[in-house]
Amino acid sequence: MNPHDEHKEGIGGMANPGRYGIERVAYWLMRLTGLGLLGYFVAHIYETSNILKGRVGWEEFLALTQTTEGHIFMTLVIGMCVFHTVNGIRVMLGHGGVGVGKPARPDYPYLPASQNARHKMGIYSAIVLAAVAMMYGMAVMFGE
Amino acid sequence: MRESHIMKIHYGTALAAIGLVAVHILMRLTQGFAESLEYESVIANYRFLPYAGLLEIILILLSIHGFNGLRVILLELKQGQTYEKAVSYGCIAAMIALIAYGSRTIFMTNMGLM
Repeated sequence: MNPHDEHKEGIGGMANPGRYGIERVAYWLMRLTGLGLLGYFVAHIYETSNILKGRVGWEEFLALTQTTEGHIFMTLVIGMCVFHTVNGIRVMLGHGGVGVGKPARPDYPYLPASQNARHKMGIYSAIVLAAVAMMYGMAVMFGE
Repeated sequence: MRESHIMKIHYGTALAAIGLVAVHILMRLTQGFAESLEYESVIANYRFLPYAGLLEIILILLSIHGFNGLRVILLELKQGQTYEKAVSYGCIAAMIALIAYGSRTIFMTNMGLM
């Protein structure tokens, strides 16, 4: 018997981003960016509610976000947003049967047809587009 | 509600939000990022009824999508009848609270009640 049974590792083994290739990295990034964006969305709703405090309240709160740290945070939000969007479209297409290959008899070495080059390209495209959007966002925010 | 229906709503809200959030971001870029965040500019945005309506729709779409996503993540980690009900009702309550809080800002600013 294998002394190191990966099935006994529980959630830690399932979630290990270093073991199952770029698909598992995408799985993690999708969830982390989703949680990050939900946190940002809640904070954004609170931030914009400061408009009800009038000009002084709005400008005081805005000053907190118009800093170098604030711009770096917004750059991360842009990256999370773009990755989550592009990878989300890839996931939706996959769930709809687009780009997952045709059903076939499982033969050795049992490579899943759905984890093919098209979907890997989709994941890498999401990462590259997120990086490009972050650079554009930084140019806009730090350029002013 | 069946999970398959919930996932259709999850994907539908995502696709709708992509288009509407793009409009929301482009509005920031049409007049310069810093200028668009000035008090007068933000008030003018809220007073413009179609734009206020757009913000309200984005608020609803992203709240549904975001809190359903959180529910899915939490249900992946642990299962059980009590836990699943607590997570589902907790996410619905948080979603309603966020929509109510965001709507308060939109309605009050749009109607000049500040």
